Amino acid sequence: MFLAVFSPKGNDEVSLDATLMQQLLRRDVSAFEELYERHSRIVYSLVLRILRQGSTAEEVVQDVFLQLWRNCARYDTSRPFVPWLLTLARNRALDHLRLKSERQRRREEQTEEFPQIASAAPEYEKALDEKRRAERVRALIGSLPSAQKKAIELAYFEGLSHSEIAAALNEPLGTVKSWIRSGLMRLKESLQATS
Amino acid sequence: MNTHDQFRELLEAYALGSLDSADRALLETHLASGCAECAKALEDARWLVSQLAYLAPNAEPSDMLKGRLLQTVRAEAAGGAGPQAVRGAEVPWWLWAGVAALLLFSIYSAWNEQHLRRTVTNLQQHAEAQRAERQKLEEQLRVAKLQAHEAMIWMDPKSVKIMLPPKDPKMPQLEAMWHPEMGLVVRGWKVPNPGGNRVLQLWLIPKAGGKPMPSMTFWPDANGKFSAMVENPPDTMSDTQALAITEEPVGGSTQPTSAPMWVGGVS
Repeated sequence: MFLAVFSPKGNDEVSLDATLMQQLLRRDVSAFEELYERHSRIVYSLVLRILRQGSTAEEVVQDVFLQLWRNCARYDTSRPFVPWLLTLARNRALDHLRLKSERQRRREEQTEEFPQIASAAPEYEKALDEKRRAERVRALIGSLPSAQKKAIELAYFEGLSHSEIAAALNEPLGTVKSWIRSGLMRLKESLQATS
Repeated sequence: MNTHDQFRELLEAYALGSLDSADRALLETHLASGCAECAKALEDARWLVSQLAYLAPNAEPSDMLKGRLLQTVRAEAAGGAGPQAVRGAEVPWWLWAGVAALLLFSIYSAWNEQHLRRTVTNLQQHAEAQRAERQKLEEQLRVAKLQAHEAMIWMDPKSVKIMLPPKDPKMPQLEAMWHPEMGLVVRGWKVPNPGGNRVLQLWLIPKAGGKPMPSMTFWPDANGKFSAMVENPPDTMSDTQALAITEEPVGGSTQPTSAPMWVGGVS
């Protein structure tokens, strides 16, 4: 069990995104500009990490934000915005990375174009603002043994399956499964812990 | 660990998209069964996985990207397009190029069709003019042949001239020339037009008696002039006693319906 520390700043930011998304429904360009200013860096960083090519990454980011503008009616404002946006951006980038591949098919089966994210943000999202959460994610994953860290990165940034990661790292399949699961559990515990 | 716990262990990997097909199928079957606890846990797992984005090194998109996006968004907002609208900016350049090529091809095809239509019309008009010219020449040739034939009948020494005096002394005298092989020509000047639906008709009066034999019909022109020829008269000169001309309805008659206006003996 974790102790949630209420952070006015973090909560305000979640609420602001929801408000901006509601304004987007009224075709408010200034709300779109503010959403872009607030989140384009992390979206671009993620997409660039996956695609490793600046111009292609910008194309995907443009696609993601235009989708946000055009399909904002399909977003449930009660859901946490940033994780939803990041999941959308990751899916788009991985689609670019491995077009027509088996991995793409698997992702399409698993996740809708507009991803399903928790209907209510976990308490630890409210407890930590985005900057502190980012620091904590980097610190925790950075503290893992390099092979375990590599396995998680291959899964998240390359879209590889357990078997593919096992083959890439030349490790037993069970070990890879365990690494990924335990790494994510430790991340969860870290984010739940109070600062 | 029960079966439910086994599924819970798969949720993070499923959210990552890294489950292999067999595990994925098992978990999806379980989720489809309506397990609310796992569904909620999966949503949390997706949130957790999304946090891995912060592992990406910080990077800044170019100002040009923001400019392009805002330009598109402002244009769409000004255009009144609501959410979900399909906008031009989504259309790739090659599709526009294809549309442009198709448009150009359509314009060219339309122009080409018009050009062909004009060409065909011109050819048809040209062919029609040639056909009319040919008919005119054929008519001129026919008339020339006729006139030549008549001239030959008039000049040939074997032809026999037959004078046809009028019954009415006010009417002009007609003359005929009969050639045993080339036919019979009758001509006259200052002959009044019969008028109405009537024509002049030539009759051959047989020596042996009996009904007059009907021959050609004709009528004078506006100046009262005519020259009519029959290449194959209904009887021979030697069996014909006289020629007679009457007025008959258009199309001619099988026997005279009026008194002869001109009669001339065949010598």
